[in-house]
Parts: sequence; C-alpha cells; structure tokens
Amino acid sequence: MTLTQPHDAVRPRRSEEPVLELVGVRAAYGAIEVLKGVDLSVPAGTVCALLGPNGGGKTTTMRVASGLMPTTAGEVRYSGRNVTGITAGEAARLGVCSIPEGRGVFANLTVRENLWVATGTGTSLAEIEEAAYTRFPKLGERRHQLAGSMSGGEQQMLALSRALGTDPAVLLLDELSMGLAPMIVSSMYDIVGALAAEGISILVAEQFARVVLPIADTAALMLGGRIVQVGDPAEIEDELSTTYLGG
Amino acid sequence: MFLTFTVLGLVLGAVYAIAASGLVLTYNTSGIFNFAHGAQAMIGAFTFYQLQVVWGVPTLLAVAIVLGILGPLMGYLLHRFIMGGLRDTAEVTKIVVTVAILLGFVSLSHWVWSPQDARMVRMFFGADSYVSIGGVVIRYHEIICLVAAAGIAIGLRLLFTKSRMGVVMRGAVDDPDLLRLNGHDPERVAAIAWAMGSTLAVLAGILITPVGGGALEANALTLLVIDAFAAALFGRLRSIPRTFVGAVVLGMASTYLVAYAPSNWTWVTNLRDALPMILLFVVLLVLPQDRLRGAAVRTRERYEVPTVRRAAIWGVVLVVATVAFRQLIDDSSVGTLILGLTFAIIALSLTLLTGYAGELNLAPISFGAIATLVAFHTGITGQGLDARMSLTGLVLGVLAAAITGALVALPALRLRGLYLALATLAFGGIVSSMVLRETQPRSWFGHEFALFPQGTIIVWPLKVGPLDLGDQDVFLYTTATIFAVLGVGVIALRNSGYGRRLAAMKDSPAAAVMLGQRLVRLKLSVFMISTAIAGLGGILMSMALSSVTSDHFVYTLSLSLVMLTVVGGIGYVSGALFGGLIAGAGFSLIVGTFNELGSAHPEHASTFSIISHLILVAVALVGVGVAHNPSGNMSSIFAGHRFLAGAPEVRYAAIGVTVVLYGLAYAGVIGTWTFGILVAVLWMALPALGLWLRAERLLPPEALAARRGVPLELVGVDVPYPDGFGGQLDRTLGLPARARRATPTIPAQAQAPSEEGESHVRV
Ligand SMILES: Nc1ncnc2c1ncn2[C@@H]1O[C@H](COP(=O)(O)OP(=O)(O)OP(=O)(O)O)[C@@H](O)[C@H]1O
Ligand SMILES: [Mg+2]
Repeated sequence: MTLTQPHDAVRPRRSEEPVLELVGVRAAYGAIEVLKGVDLSVPAGTVCALLGPNGGGKTTTMRVASGLMPTTAGEVRYSGRNVTGITAGEAARLGVCSIPEGRGVFANLTVRENLWVATGTGTSLAEIEEAAYTRFPKLGERRHQLAGSMSGGEQQMLALSRALGTDPAVLLLDELSMGLAPMIVSSMYDIVGALAAEGISILVAEQFARVVLPIADTAALMLGGRIVQVGDPAEIEDELSTTYLGG
Repeated sequence: MFLTFTVLGLVLGAVYAIAASGLVLTYNTSGIFNFAHGAQAMIGAFTFYQLQVVWGVPTLLAVAIVLGILGPLMGYLLHRFIMGGLRDTAEVTKIVVTVAILLGFVSLSHWVWSPQDARMVRMFFGADSYVSIGGVVIRYHEIICLVAAAGIAIGLRLLFTKSRMGVVMRGAVDDPDLLRLNGHDPERVAAIAWAMGSTLAVLAGILITPVGGGALEANALTLLVIDAFAAALFGRLRSIPRTFVGAVVLGMASTYLVAYAPSNWTWVTNLRDALPMILLFVVLLVLPQDRLRGAAVRTRERYEVPTVRRAAIWGVVLVVATVAFRQLIDDSSVGTLILGLTFAIIALSLTLLTGYAGELNLAPISFGAIATLVAFHTGITGQGLDARMSLTGLVLGVLAAAITGALVALPALRLRGLYLALATLAFGGIVSSMVLRETQPRSWFGHEFALFPQGTIIVWPLKVGPLDLGDQDVFLYTTATIFAVLGVGVIALRNSGYGRRLAAMKDSPAAAVMLGQRLVRLKLSVFMISTAIAGLGGILMSMALSSVTSDHFVYTLSLSLVMLTVVGGIGYVSGALFGGLIAGAGFSLIVGTFNELGSAHPEHASTFSIISHLILVAVALVGVGVAHNPSGNMSSIFAGHRFLAGAPEVRYAAIGVTVVLYGLAYAGVIGTWTFGILVAVLWMALPALGLWLRAERLLPPEALAARRGVPLELVGVDVPYPDGFGGQLDRTLGLPARARRATPTIPAQAQAPSEEGESHVRV
C-alpha cells in the first residue's frame, strides 16, 4: 500500500476524477444497518452539500468518508483510488480534513495546544498558528485559554482553523451550524466559501440547507441511509423544506 | 531531630510522588484507573530482588533490566492485550479488569516468591553511605529518591506542556476519534503512556522498600496504589504538580505521626498504616463536586431485568436444587457449600449496588467484618457448645453495616463512581489495618474490651425460636432460602419505581437531576441497603466459618468476589450466585482437589501444584474475557436460552436428562463431580444442541437458507416457503413493517441493539 505518501496524494491528477467518491457503501452500528448503499461523489474543486432530516445518516456518511467507520460493503475512493478500509489517521495524512459534528476541539487543551495536535498531518505549528490567528484574531488573544471554556462559536472557529492551517485536499464538515447564532454561521460559511475558492473540494452536511446554498455547487438529499436525489442545490432545498421539514 | 524527620518525610513523599505520577499518567491517557499499579510496583521490586540479591547481578545492570525492559514491557503488554479493549465499557468493568490483574500479580508473586520467607532489600550504596548536612544524615539512597522524584516532576511537566506527544496524550482520553482525524494514532499514544506508567510504578517499587525498613512484602507494595491514589487526589487525578504536593504532605504526615505521637498511644503504628486511607477520606470531603456529564453514557453492557414472578420461580428452583444436591454430597462438603452461598449473599449486595445503580463497593466483605464484630459483641448468648447468636445480634450487626456504609459513602457520593470505589477500598484497608488489629483490650466509652479479642473470634450459629443453624443441613437450607428471598426482593426492587430511578441515575446522572431526583439521597439509600445485605452475608459467612480471623476479611477476598461477580454478570442475581459460589467454594474446592490429587499421586505432586497455581494466576486473564463480554457469562447463557424459546421441547428433554443423571448420582452409579460437570455441560451446550436438533424451528428463514446454501432469492423456488418469510423479506428490502405474527425466531444477539433501554432514561 502506498497510503502514506505525501499528503497531497489525494489531489486530482485528472480533473474528471472525483476527489471523493462513495460507491454502494453500506455501514452498520452493530446489527443496525444505517447506510444502505450510498453513492456520492464530490468532483474536484466543488462544494457538495449533503442535506437531509435528522437520522438520515449524514454523520455516518461523513464518518465513513473520513475513515473513522468501517464499511460493510461498497467502496470508498479518493481521487479514483480505492481506499476502502483506510484508517482515519492515514486519511488525514492523505489530506482529508474532517471536522466532526459537535465541537471538533479538545476541551481540556488550550487553543494553542489544540493547534499543536492539528499538526499531526505534517504542518508546522508556526504555520497553523499564523493561519488561525490571522483569520480569527480572537483565537490569538485567547491562545492560552482552555478550549472547553470558550463560547461555541469560538470553539467552532478553532475547529475550522485546522482546515485553514493544514492545507487539505478535501474538507468534510458536519453540521457546522449546530447551536450557533445565524450571524456566526454565515461568517463561518464565508470562510468555507473562501476555502472553496482556493480550490479545496468540500463535502458539507447540513440539516438546514439555506445556510449552505450560496456556496454549494451540487446537493445530495439523504433519506433513510440512501442518497435519494442529487442535483441543483436550490431545487433540492425546495424539495427538502416542503416535503420533509414541513416548510 | 525535626530536620531529620522532615527529610525522612520528604523522601517517603518523593517515592509516593513517583508512584502517583504513573497512576495519573495512565489515567489521563486511557481513562482507566489502574488498580494494579501497586501490584506492578510489587512485581518490579521482587524481580529486582531476584536479580540483585538471589542471582547476584550487578546493581546497575539489575536496575537497567527492571526499568528498561520489565517496566515498559509490562505496560505495553497490559495495554496491548487487555486495556486497549476496554473502550466504551462501563467504569465498573474497567475497574474490575485492573483488579483482576492485581489479583493475578499477587498470586504470581506468592507462587514464585513464597510469602513465608523473609526478604530484605538493601539501600542503594548501602545504609552507611551518607552525607551529613548540619547534623542531618542523608543517605545516598534517599538522595536518589529525591533526585529521581524531582527529575520526574520536571520531565513530566516538560512532556505534557512542551512536547507534542505529551499534548496528544492529554487529548487521547477526551476524544480518541478526534485524534485520529488529526492524523494521530491513539492506540500508540496509549501504549506509550502505559509503558511509562508501568516503569514509574516499578521505579517506585524498588525505591520504597528500603525506605520503609527493607522487608519486601507483597501485600504492602500492592496497596501502594492507595497511597498513590491519596496523593493523586490532591491534583484531582489530573494535575501532576499538585499530585507531588499531595505526596509530600502524605509522606511528612506519616513520618511526623510516628515521631511525635505520645508513646502510650499504642495504636499509632496501626494509624500510620491507615493514614493514607484516612487522608483519602479527608481529601474526598473537601474536593469540589464533579460536573455532571450531560449525555447518557452508551456502554457495551446490557442487562435484562426478569419479572418478579419469574424470579420467584427461579428462587424456588434454587432451594429445591440445593436440597437435592445436598443428598449427593457427604457431610464434610456441606460447609463449603454453605460458605459459597453466604458469599453469594454478599455478592447480591453488588447486584443491587453495581448492576442496578452503577456504583461500586470494592470491600463488601469488610462491611461483613463490621457486622460480624457488632453481632459478636451484642448477640452471643449461652455458654460453651450451647452458645448461640441471637436475632438481636444479627439485626444490630446488619444495622451497623448499613450505618457504616452511610458513613463511608457520604464523602464520596457527590463525586463520580470511581471515587466511591476507592473510598470503599480505603475503608477495607482501614478495617484490616486498624479495626481487626484491635486484639488487646482497650477502654471504649468507659468499657474495657477488645474489638477483636486475640485476633480470633468464635461466631456461634444463629438460633431463632425453633430454627437452629447449629444443624448443618438446616443452615444450608436457610442460607439458600435467604439468598432466594433476597434475590427476589432485589429484583422486585429493580422493577419498582425506586429501581427505575436507580437505572436512570446509572444511565444519565445529569438527566436524572433534571427530572428532579435527589441523587445523593438515592445513592446513599441504595448504598445502605447494599451494605446491609453485605453485612448479613458477612455474619452468615462468619457463622459458617465459626472461627474467624482477620485473614477471612482480607481485601483480596473482597476484590475476588467483586471480580467474579462481574464475570458472572453483575446485573444479574444469578451472576451474584455464580460469583459467590466460585469465590466462596470454587477456589477452595479447586485448590483442595489438586492438593489431594498431589498427595494421592506424589510423583505428580509438583505438576498438580503448578496447575493449581496457574489457575490462580490466570485470574489476571479474566480481564481479557471481561473486555470481550462485559455483560458477563450469565448474559450470554441467557441469550442462548432465550433463543431456545422457539423449541421448548429441547428444554423439557434437558430437564429429563438432568433428572435421570440425578437418579444415577443418587444411586451412586456416577460420582458427584461427574454429575455436576455433566449437568453444567448439558445446560451450557443446550443452545448449540438445540440448534443442531431443531434448526428449522429456531432460525429465521434466511439464516436457514444460508445453512442449506440456498440464496435468499431462491427461497420459495428451490426450497419450500417457510412461514414468516414475507416479513423477513420486507425487512431485508427495507419496506415498512406490516402487522405480522410475532415470530420468536430472531436470535437474542440480533435484538440487543434495539434494547437500548439500558442507555436511555426511563422514568
Ligand atoms: N453509535 C450509534 N449506535 C447505534 N446507532 C447509531 C449510532 N449513531 C447513530 N446511529 C443511528 O444511525 C442513524 C443515522 O445517524 P446519523 O447520525 O448518521 O444521522 P444524521 O443524518 O447525521 O442525523 P442528524 O441530522 O440528527 O445529525 C440514526 O438512526 C441513529 O440512531
Ligand atoms: Mg449528524
């Protein structure tokens, strides 16, 4: 296996290869099958929104894509290469940056220490601190504060800093908006938009589609462990809000 | 003088600090509080003794071997084979696994290094190499202790704050998955932490023995974990610097205590032994309350609760089986069986406390000791062989156990389960090193008497009206009945509103508080009920033993009992029966059998002795099994039998076979052992037998098809269409369920995840 190549191995060699692709993926928690054959692809340099109501399997899809959860069937591909069974650590070193649901920070470490842990994929601490503090001056002021004692928005900034500083090829974002004020959410998504403009491919899971619409190129609707529809974000949002979220 | 004692206190504190820092290190990287930490120190110290004193290896080389190879290797192997598998298990399971390792290590050391022989360890450079500063003599060994502790303090501080590895270690316990997403390998990090922690334990082990006088003693070293824990509590098990402060306070306090206590306080040496435990209670009292975790904890343990009716039937079955089994065994074995059942009653206290309420008591037998002492002093009536225990004594003893339980639990109740577990272990230590050493008369509240006269007391059997436990058989049946009644009672309690509150508290303390529960009151009440049961069991145990010494209340016995109950399934009354019978009767039976075999066949005596020792050491490996199956043996057996529900005739047949076997045994055609083994094997193997004989009634259609090698699509084409298949097909295709006849054919394993009731709050 050549999985431990330099981390830009995921970068597309030919632009038509999707950077991240799931083919017929099934996954289960114990005996409960949660993903029942998911087909999803994120073309290089695009932002794909994964939408769907609670319990649809979005988080599970993200966990499979980042290597945290094993599949029971199907294939996971990075840039066309079959990487099914990859561990999360290897995936991270290949340039897959995943920010999990909830707060992707270590509550008992300080801001700076959190950034230090984020250097596990090969960046230097100085680089990542530079990137984080430039974008979020507030983090710079609080670099010695425990992450757990910061506000939800600040914690999410810290989590997002990992994406800023490590120069990933693919970014997986799970419910960035959870529990945050609309103002903060939209500023978060401005940053995500900027990252997309830099050419990073992004898969973002959201229950409420509106916040991702401005930046999404495509959208996929997930229901009961399957992708039921892929297409134009605005159309899918309509479908989602009228049919499943009740307006 | 003062300065000399200060230096001695500092040195002792330094060694405590080394031990405590290892404990804190592993706890903070893996979330496992390692009760075997002192046992690891003990193994290190004994190995060092073997190398240096027995084999004459040069000191420096011996040190290099134990610190460079033994320490790291022991830690690595522990993590690799045992601790690594403990993610997502309940705190109880984690504790019990390390307790198993502790017990295994103690047996190992008793086997290799007979506890009867005295061993002395000299100081490094001998006791005569010293420097004298301002009249204070400081030996080289003591300087080494101080320097090592200082070096470790600085080293760990640097590691944790100035190196990425250290920072990653601190992150590992919070969220291993997030570490993976950051490109790290939490397993590797934890393995390194365990190797380091184990090495620190070994270092503390080889340093402390000469400081404490030089006699190498397995039990004392094993209990070093309590001293280390008391020190670590100062830093709330997190902060290394505060842990060092705590260690120094502890070292100083115990040195000054011995130095300045008036000489007519004869109990001071006992107090000194118990000091870390007493200090532990003091620190627990001042420790601020823990923040409650919000989320329900999702763990791998699953227990089902039977209905009271079912439990009552099983209770009757137990009593009948006891009576029937009594007819097979000779009089001399009855005592062992009684002892096993009394242990089972003590274990029942754990089913309630741990299985239902999620709290832990590591010294149930010590509460039994308190109950026994009170019953002994208040309840013995009559003279000579006619002396009997009165009901008053029994009741007072049980009450005393409950009240002691409240006193022990109160300081720890505000805190997490781990603290209560440690408080109880410390209480066990206090009972052993203070209460049970009160063998001489002393003035108590104006009366002159000894708590534990001459170190041996005779506890006479109970007599209430016509019921006289002086008769062995009556005692046996009474004990079985008491177990059955208490077992049903405990299950009834679990099925009541009170029991559901306990379950809610176990699953999510925060949610339980939100719903208006008074957690402290709830915990206190369940702890008191539990210690009362343990007290009752303890008194019965003492009566079964008749002549009781402090050895009968030793902490390892309590730990074995807790461990075996978890192995059996601590959420089940039957798990308590299993644990109690093995702890009380099984071990002595096994060791006794092998000893007999040894004397019957002298030429193989050493083989038999090795086997019986191996069994005891193998206890350490129990942890591996528990990690795989944290719900216990009974849980798997029940799961297997529930699966048989589709074919009741299998069980009727098994009952028939059992009765026939019993007849054969009664007639003396087969021996009691053969009978026991055959019956056990029959019932354990029944699910597999049933599957073999009655597959078509027990398996869902698609599994049947797979067994026959018919693909699902061809069911109905190649093989007949079994009933219930339509529903099966719907499920496979993900179609909405139709109302269909309940099919009792899904194996219990497959149902388990849908029974997440255990992890949700039910009120
Ligand atoms: N650890 C787990 N064990 C068992 N089942 C789980 C576990 N985690 C999730 N599930 C189940 O898997 C299904 C999909 O969950 P998932 O978290 O992927 O949904 P989601 O689309 O992210 O929902 P949400 O919008 O609420 O975040 C749910 O039915 C959930 O109950
Ligand atoms: Mg989700």
